[in-house]
This record gives sequence, structure tokens and C-alpha cells, in this order.
Amino acid sequence: MGGRQRQQHRQQAPALPAAVGALCRALPPRARPAPDTLRRARFDRPQASLDFWRLLYVLLKQIHGGGWTESDAIGAQVRFVKSALWFHGYGRPQLQRLPADGSAGSRELLLAFSWLLHRLGLLEQLLARNRLQTGDEASVCTCEDELPSIQEDTAEAGPEDRVDVRYLQWLNGRLRLQWCSLHAQHQEQCKLLHKIHLFTSGSHMDQNLGHFSVTETDLIRQPENYKQLLQLLESETMQLEAFLEWKQLEPIYWQWMETVLDNMAEEGNMCESQGAHVEKKRLPEVNSCCPWADKLTGQMDRLSRDLMALQEQLHQLVAQRKALWWEKVAAREELQKERFSATARKIQESVELKLRSLTSLCAPKKNETHGLCRLVLRNKHPASKMGLGGCVSKEAVSAVSAAEVIRELQVREASLQRELEQLRQECRHRLDEIAGGLEGVICISH
Amino acid sequence: MRPPSQQGYFMIVEKQLSENELFLSCCCASQGLSWAAAALRAALGEGAERRRELEQRTARGRALLWRWDDEEEERPQPCSSTEHGDRPSPKELEELELLNRALEKALKVRKSILKTPLEVQGATGQKWAGEAHAPKKAEEQQVPVPAEDVPECRKVRAGSKKPLLLKKPSPYQLTAPYRTDPDVKKLQRKLTARCVSQGPRTAGKVSSKGMTSKQGRSHRTATGASAREVCAAAEPQETPSLSESAPNEQQSFSGGDSAVGENSIAAGKHLLGAGKKSCGFLGESNKRVDAAGAWGRSTSPGTGTLQEKGCQLKLPLPYRKAYSRNSRAWERCRLCQTSADAAAARTRFMERIQMTFCSPKLIPSPAEIEEELRGLQDVPFHLRQYVEAVPADPPTLQEEYESLLTLEGLQTTVSQCLQKLQLLQTALESQLRLRPDCTGDVGSCSPACVPARGQTCGSADVLAVPLLYYSSLQELSDLFASKLQVSMLHQEIALQKALHESWSICCSAQSRPVEIGSDFSTTARTAEVGKGWEKETAHKRGFPGVAANSEGKLTL
Repeated sequence: MGGRQRQQHRQQAPALPAAVGALCRALPPRARPAPDTLRRARFDRPQASLDFWRLLYVLLKQIHGGGWTESDAIGAQVRFVKSALWFHGYGRPQLQRLPADGSAGSRELLLAFSWLLHRLGLLEQLLARNRLQTGDEASVCTCEDELPSIQEDTAEAGPEDRVDVRYLQWLNGRLRLQWCSLHAQHQEQCKLLHKIHLFTSGSHMDQNLGHFSVTETDLIRQPENYKQLLQLLESETMQLEAFLEWKQLEPIYWQWMETVLDNMAEEGNMCESQGAHVEKKRLPEVNSCCPWADKLTGQMDRLSRDLMALQEQLHQLVAQRKALWWEKVAAREELQKERFSATARKIQESVELKLRSLTSLCAPKKNETHGLCRLVLRNKHPASKMGLGGCVSKEAVSAVSAAEVIRELQVREASLQRELEQLRQECRHRLDEIAGGLEGVICISH
Repeated sequence: MRPPSQQGYFMIVEKQLSENELFLSCCCASQGLSWAAAALRAALGEGAERRRELEQRTARGRALLWRWDDEEEERPQPCSSTEHGDRPSPKELEELELLNRALEKALKVRKSILKTPLEVQGATGQKWAGEAHAPKKAEEQQVPVPAEDVPECRKVRAGSKKPLLLKKPSPYQLTAPYRTDPDVKKLQRKLTARCVSQGPRTAGKVSSKGMTSKQGRSHRTATGASAREVCAAAEPQETPSLSESAPNEQQSFSGGDSAVGENSIAAGKHLLGAGKKSCGFLGESNKRVDAAGAWGRSTSPGTGTLQEKGCQLKLPLPYRKAYSRNSRAWERCRLCQTSADAAAARTRFMERIQMTFCSPKLIPSPAEIEEELRGLQDVPFHLRQYVEAVPADPPTLQEEYESLLTLEGLQTTVSQCLQKLQLLQTALESQLRLRPDCTGDVGSCSPACVPARGQTCGSADVLAVPLLYYSSLQELSDLFASKLQVSMLHQEIALQKALHESWSICCSAQSRPVEIGSDFSTTARTAEVGKGWEKETAHKRGFPGVAANSEGKLTL
């Protein structure tokens, strides 16, 4: 390291350990590195590599909602981390070249970690995901629930003749029955929640809430069962305070990371150019073993087919209507030419407006409320509150009303219903086509 | 999603017409069926998981609505066996029986109080009187007061209390307007204001119960009120069953106790408990009545149901403190913004590191590709809606113009979407080239293969947990019902799409058409000939008049 850098480092030194410490404490408890690990990684010490792989592994697993165990092999961790970083668009080739046994590369990993911090909002995401739920939560987004992934091997299906149409009918019937039972269960849950909220109205010290949730009521009834909750609450508070501290000290950390880049730039110039060549040589090895890519490609193909069919249809329609239009206009040209240009502009504007709502559909929706909301019973005429103890924040909190959500859901429901109908129509058409095209087929419409 | 492979035989496809019932008939290779069966089984498994989770949450909530001094671990057993014989197995019958007994006892106690000698009456009368009236003569007058004060007991009386009425008509005459004790009335009003009731039926009960909790130790009003509330509680449900109530339980109850005084107090407590139970459980299913818990115990403020003391509950102090600190910390974090220095430092770092990436900076990451694609998924559907909405033959010139413009606009949108799709496809290809080697274990290595359910739910303001306000039970039920409906539709669409995809791939492939798939609700019946196929399937399905001839063709 140059003397200038050492001086810089000394200037930053008082605050840097604080920043790194705050960063570490702001991470979730199970994924918390020691500040020393980061310090060692900065100097590319191999001892820190294993710890760092593990850190990234756990953090990324949390982001992706997957599970992990303490005993996951280092090889699996390395593969997962590399794959996840690729998925999020991290493109440093040096990372991909790191050995699979996790024995080296702590500095690269430090860079990757910092990149993730910014790119994914790692701290905020993890705080939100691991947030302690003390209320009765419900999600309001209408994100599509993914069908559970169907395993490739349906070996368990049994011998061929067992799986016949009647089995499928039976399964389908069971599925419908299950939905009914689920509905009934939900209704019961609603009644319970409503009662509890009603009966405990006026008791919560947080004025915005006003009543207890199931967890809180249970806490009163059996405080001894909830000691862990209290501890978790306190540790979360400490994590949040560390986050706030980190936000204050952030610039120091990023400057420090730039020094790392400086070092690497000095050292690695020659290596990088070599690497680039290697990279280009390795080119067209298309990995066929990625189900994710297959799925995406399938979706894209389907989408492109649909869109092209639509394009074709619209092309014809537009040609037709244009011809018609010019006919009509030619017939009345003497009458309406002058008056029409004024109305034409109005019509153009209204059509633009209409279509703008369509284009907003084409973009991925980013502003919806996703995630969980806490259910709060609030009457239209709130009764006088008996505030017990001190009140917590009375600031305006983000809130949605159930009525709005219900409306949106109903709109979505109607749209999905139409889509389903359309799909069924298509299937029916398809079936008729196929049946018509086969020899010796007798279609009996019932 | 794996499309079923092709094999060279056919099957009959039968699709029944059934309005609400949809079922799936998918033919072709048995692997196609297996695949469909696997899809359905997976969906079923997921549904079962949801049910289990929901049941756990519900169980906890249920426990909170019972009396809080009960044993929670297992089904509470009656502590005294004299009151309960063998419980009848259906829970509803049990509840009804309990209510019947409670009512019987209330009336019997009243009866017994009037009958017994003065000194005993004096002892109990004090406890009965709603007011602090010392003279015993006044007590005799007081006693009918509680009887008269039952607000909704008219029906009950009119029910099958006739045998008792014949003996003692006057105490059981309930006349309107029902006079209630002034004290009680005040408390009633106060509590009604606090505990917003669900409906008119429960209003009276809530108030009377609340009142009893207020005067927990004072049995005078307690038992009087409990009689009230028992009648009130019993009113909606008990009319039909009163006639069936067996009088012998009364003996079993009173036989166990020595003094009538104790009897009445115990009866009062019992009524209190049973009354609460009945009010709490009326109209609800899946609630277990635990009268045993009520019997023989004192109504101290620490016990009782949530209904009566919910308004007074307090969270324990350590939790309150921790909660306050926690929510303040969350609020500060939410409002906290990145300082300008930090933002600048971040940007510098990111730019520099991105210059060292091997791929050009501008291609979207796989995550972004997925995100964009997700946004595009619904577009064809919505476009088609718009196209269909354009009128075919508009009457006026303006409307014709509007239709034309709309169609042209839609055309532009489609080409824009196609362009975007093209870009995404190219991006995906280049990203796949950079993909790390994934040797071995595919399932666990790529995080992309296990997309997190909530992953796309990463909004800008992740640090706020919004509140969802609802104002009534109806709204809450509607909310959950709608959510469930949407989930169900998602699932159906996904299954439908996947199925469609599978056989459309197969059908387009070979010249020897091997697959006939179908959807969930088509109504055509198709018969097909195949080699090596079992013709008796048709007969099994009961196709009338369909017979196989020697060539294997099925004809009507």
C-alpha cells in the first residue's frame, strides 16, 4: 500500500471501525459477520474466505426465501452464491473464477457484498423480511401465486392404467373441495379476529392501532410463553438502531471500498486483460440444464406467438377500417371537413388517454402495496379512546382501507375470470380443430 | 413445465357437461395424464399446507375467546361430575343441553328462593337484591324485580315455561317496559359505548355481562343479572329446546349442596358462566362449551372471558416498553434518508466497479428480465379486451374515427411490446452465455430456479408496514373471500395454460396425430380409434348405443 493510502486510512480510521461495526450489527442475527472478517477480507486474507462465502450464502438465501442449514457444504454454498450474483447482474469475472472450495477470494467477496448492499438494498430488504409480526397480518397484493414446481420424475404416478381420466376428475373434485374448506376456515378466522379486535378495543397504547392482535392478547393471557418474543423485539430494536448509525457513517464505508478498488486496479491490470481473453474463448457453451431459463424462454415464446397473432389481426382490422373510413369521408367530404378537424383533435386526445392506461399495464407494476399489512379494526365513528400508558407515534402511517382492497380484488377477479373463459374457449377451438383433422374421428357433441 | 411426451395410442376423451363442475380430461400418453395428475396433486399439497397453517392460527385465536382460567392444553374436563353426565358426542347438542340446564336452574333457583323460609331467603335475598335494601320485606319485593327486568325474556316465557308458570305466575310475568336497576342501567350504557357490539342481539348481553364483571364480587347483582343474561342469551335459541329440557339435572345439581343459599350462589355463578358461554358461543360453530370451568369458581376479575374484560386489558409493562421503543425505531428508520455524501459515494463506487464487469453495463440482469417479462404477461389479454371493445359498426363519423384511432394505437402498442420482447430475448441469451457453470445438482444451485414467493414484492418503501383498516366483520370476510377467489383463479389459469401448452406442443409435432387434449369444461364428446387401444372403455363410460365393430371403429 502506498503511503498516501496509509494516510488516508489513518484519517478515516477513527470512524471506519464504527461504520463497519454498525454495518455488521445492522445485519440479521443469524447472518452477522464479525467486523474482523471484513477487515481481513479487505486485505484478501484467505482465512476470511470461508466466513465470507457463508455470509453471502446466508444473506442471499434469506433474500430468495430459501432455506439453509448449518451443515450445507461449502461447494454448494459457492455455487449458490455465484449463481445468485449472476442472477442479480453482478458481472465481475474474477468472482466466477474463484475456487469452488472457498479457500480464496475474500476481497472479491467483499466487493460483491458491497455491490449487493447498494444494488438490492440489502439491509432494508432483510429488515423488512425478518420483521417481527406482532399483529394480525394479511397480504394485499394480487401477485400471482406460482404453481408449485412439478417434479420432472412423475414416477410416483404408478402404473399406466392407474392414471386414467377418472383419477384426474377425482383429483379435480378434491381440489375444489379443498378450496371450499379453505374458504370456511378463513371465514371462521375472520370471526375470531373480529371478536378479539372488538373486545380489546381501546386497550392498546398505540393510538393508531387501538386494539390488540391475537398475539398480543395471548401475550397478556400467557406472558410466560412470550419471553422469546420480548427478546426478539429488543434485538430487533438494536438492529434498527445500528441501521440508523450505519446511515450516518455510510460515506466512510464507501470511500473505504473505493480504496479496495484502487488496490485491485494497481495490482490486477495484467490479470484482467488476460481474463478478458479467456472469457471470450469460453463463449458459446450453452447450458441446457437451467430450468429457469427454459421457463422464461417458454413464456417468451408464448408471448411472442400471442402478440404476433394479435398484430396480424390488428393489421387486417386497421386496413379494413381505414378503407371504410375513407369511403365515408369521401362521401361527406363537402359537408364536414372544417368542423371535423376540431373534434378530431379531441378524439385523438381521448384515445391517447385510453391507451395510456394500457401502456401502464405493460410496465411491471412497482407502486402497489406488496407484502403484509396489519389488520386494524376501526369504526367509522371511533369511540373515545382510553389510552393506557403513553401513546406511541401518532404520525400519519401508511394505511389502506379494506373497502379499496376489496374493490381492487374484485376488479382483478373479474379480469381473471374473463381470462380463464378465454383460455377455455381456445382449448375448445383447439380441440375441435384437432378432432376435425383426424381421420376416423366422430365427434359427438353433447 | 414439461409437456407430455408422445406415444402412439389414443384414448377416448369424455367431457361431461356440468355447469359448475369442471374437470379435466386429458388424454394422450399416460405420461400426459401423469403429468396432469402431478400438477393437481401439487396444487392439493399446497392447499393442504395452507389449511394446516390457517388451522394453527385459528386454534390460538379460539383459545383466547374461552374463559382464560381454563386449562388450554387439552379439552377441559368437567371438574364436577354431578352436573355433567356423559357428554353427548355432537358439540351442538351439548351446547344446547347446557343452555337448557342453565335456564332450568335459573328458574328453579328463583322458585326455590321464593319457597324457602325467610331466614334462608334473607341470606340469599341480600344477594339477589339489586339495590342495597336492608329490610327483608323489601327483599321479597326485590325478588320479582330481577325477574321482571329481563329484557328479552318474553319469548322465553312464552315458550315452554308453562308448567312453572302455572305454579307461580306472578314472578314470571314479564311486562314491558322492563324496568332495570338504575345502577345497572348506567353501567350498561357505559359498557355499550365502550364495547361496540356486533348487533342488536348481543347488545343487551354484552352490557349485562360487562356489568357483572364490574361487580364481580357482589353476588347480589351478579346472580340477578345472570338470570337476566341467561334469559337474554337463551332467548334466540332456546325456544324450541326448552320444551325438551329435562328437569332431572336440577336435582342433580341441588342435591350436591347443602344449603339453598350456597345453592343459589353457586347457581348464580354457574349461570354467570353458562350465560357467558352461551352468549359467547351462540351461532358459532367449533366452539367448545366449558361449563365445568365456570362451575364452582368465583368470578374474580382475573378470570372470565375476553368479552367482558377485553377493554380493560393491559399489555405487560416490559412488553409495552419494548414495543414503544421498537415502533419508534421503525419510524425513524423509515424516515431516514440517505445523505447526499453517502449517495455520491455509493454512485462512485458502483460506477467504478461496473466498469470492471465483463459484460456491457446496459443489458438487464436476469432478475430484471424476469421482472419485465412478468409485466408483459397480461398484455395480450388486455389488448384483446380493448380490441373487442371497439365497436364493429359505429353509427357516427366521430365514432368511426375514434375506432380507427384506437385500433391504430393498439397496433403501435403491440409492435412496441414485440420490440421489448425481442430485446429481452437477446438479453437473456447474452446473460445465459455468462452463466456460471452449474454442474451437478441443478435444483439447489440456482436461486433463480426457486424464485422466492415474495421476491417481486420488493417495493421502494419496504420499511413501512401499512395498516389495513376494516370496519366490520362483513368487510373482513369479503376481503378474505375475494383474496381466496383470486388465488383460486390464478391456480386454475395456471393449470389451464400449462395443459394447453403441453398438448399444443404435442399436437403440432407429428403427422400421426397422437394427442387430444382438452380443457376443463368442454362439452364435446370425441371418440377416436387407435391401435392397441381398449375399446371397452367406451362401454364402461356408458355411451349408449356405441358399439365397436370389427375394424375397431366406433359408430353410433
